[in-house]
Amino acid sequence: MQDAVITGIGELKPAIVNSGQTELDLLMQAAAIATSDAGLSKKEVDGLIVTPPSNDNYFMWPSQAAEYLQIKPELLDMVELGGASAVGSIIRAALFIQAGLCNHCLCLSGGIWDRRVFNTLEGKKKVMSQAEIDFELPFGPMGFNSAYALITRRHMHKYGTTAEQLAKIVADQRFNAMTNQNALFNDKLLSIEDILASPVIADPIHRLEIVVPCSGAAAVVVSRRDQAKNSCVRAINILGMGEAYTHNSIVYAADILESPVKKAAGKAFAMANLKPEDINLVSLYDCYPITVLITLEDAGFCAKGEGGEFVMNTDLTYGGKLPCNTHGGQLCCGQPSFAGGMSHVIEAVRQLRNEAGERQVQKNKVAFINGNGGVMSVESCLILGGD
Amino acid sequence: MQGNTAVFFNKLASGKLWLQYCESCHKYIFYPRVFCPNCLKPDLQWKETSGQGKVYSFTIIHYSNLPEKSEQVPYAYAIVELAEGIRLAANITDCHPKDISIGMSVELTVKKYHYSYLHYFRPATMNRKC
Repeated sequence: MQDAVITGIGELKPAIVNSGQTELDLLMQAAAIATSDAGLSKKEVDGLIVTPPSNDNYFMWPSQAAEYLQIKPELLDMVELGGASAVGSIIRAALFIQAGLCNHCLCLSGGIWDRRVFNTLEGKKKVMSQAEIDFELPFGPMGFNSAYALITRRHMHKYGTTAEQLAKIVADQRFNAMTNQNALFNDKLLSIEDILASPVIADPIHRLEIVVPCSGAAAVVVSRRDQAKNSCVRAINILGMGEAYTHNSIVYAADILESPVKKAAGKAFAMANLKPEDINLVSLYDCYPITVLITLEDAGFCAKGEGGEFVMNTDLTYGGKLPCNTHGGQLCCGQPSFAGGMSHVIEAVRQLRNEAGERQVQKNKVAFINGNGGVMSVESCLILGGD
Repeated sequence: MQGNTAVFFNKLASGKLWLQYCESCHKYIFYPRVFCPNCLKPDLQWKETSGQGKVYSFTIIHYSNLPEKSEQVPYAYAIVELAEGIRLAANITDCHPKDISIGMSVELTVKKYHYSYLHYFRPATMNRKC
């Protein structure tokens, strides 16, 4: 994507309890930070991509957002790919810009979720297909917890992956989060033992391995390279992108251990003409540690089935060999609706710009980012590069 | 519940699990559909299955807030692979959750569920422990 660059980022501090703000209030604040970061006046924003609302009505949502922000985009869209929506919206913004349809596309995500969002029958049904409601719900699945538990259990069975190896991912991310004042969970380090001592919710998944829904918003501006403003700190190149789908419900995945990351990352690496060993840091969608582990395998950072050993022997902290989720990931920052997936993009941009402060990664030329929607159902991947 | 979904659950009253079978590509399909999702032809016929299968993966739910299910914890939520090659979600019943393993043989047991029926699986007769 020669013509499209990331010029602006903006993120609100996530909140466990929303302080009476509407979704559009949250989106507007993130939009203000990102456009200002890109050195743009509001008038210059001529493209808008939003992820779906969590509470407000879907109908004409991009138009609702444009009205609230009082912008006049020439191209509007809503991207609904679950947790892959944020990365998916960056991909589409880059395509719109490459096609010459707009100069500055604002990608907005966020919403109001709380811990109970998936915990009521109605909340569960809201994220289920009719087939899931008819053929799965009567058996008492606990939403995403049980779906990812099915993957985790089979990975352990087939490859000998251990609970300790999975907990190591969470422990390393918590170490990273200690430097992030915007993280929700940064009060103390967690040991592997601490994580495994937390209650088992859906065996083999422990409470401290489950992302916490929260409220917040995040925004990214994608611009045409020749329209990027001087005041923009530094434009980040979009070197590669790819997306793929294999299933909706995990019950019908051809192989629950083979994610669409393989195809999506393969496309992104081919477009960038890079290999996994060229990557300096990764931002991997983390709703549960198994997603990080399978993404590392399927993107090619280690062989299939060796993810457990790989994460145990690889320092994933910001000073380590393969820095992963240097902001602490969603497991430490929470999941403010679809903005959870945007946090991975924003952290990678910070790192590539040398703006990550205490947790700045020294080798920071190229980053790999993925967004994961559903239950490893849809995967969107990006490879971003600094100068 | 209507259409092919209603047919699926109504057929459970026979004590057997019936699936749609495509006469064109000679494959069972699940969940029920109007056309075969493999070949997009309308040649689907309901066929009785063996009720035999294996546990493909499972989780033991220790915390549930679903009505009816919250009193049943811990319970096993599984993906069962039928002998006919189809995978579906089900509970593994009639055994202790700790006795469940991936690959274990299970068999159909149809139980009453509200005003209809539901397909559960229990350890196959030959290796049932309880």
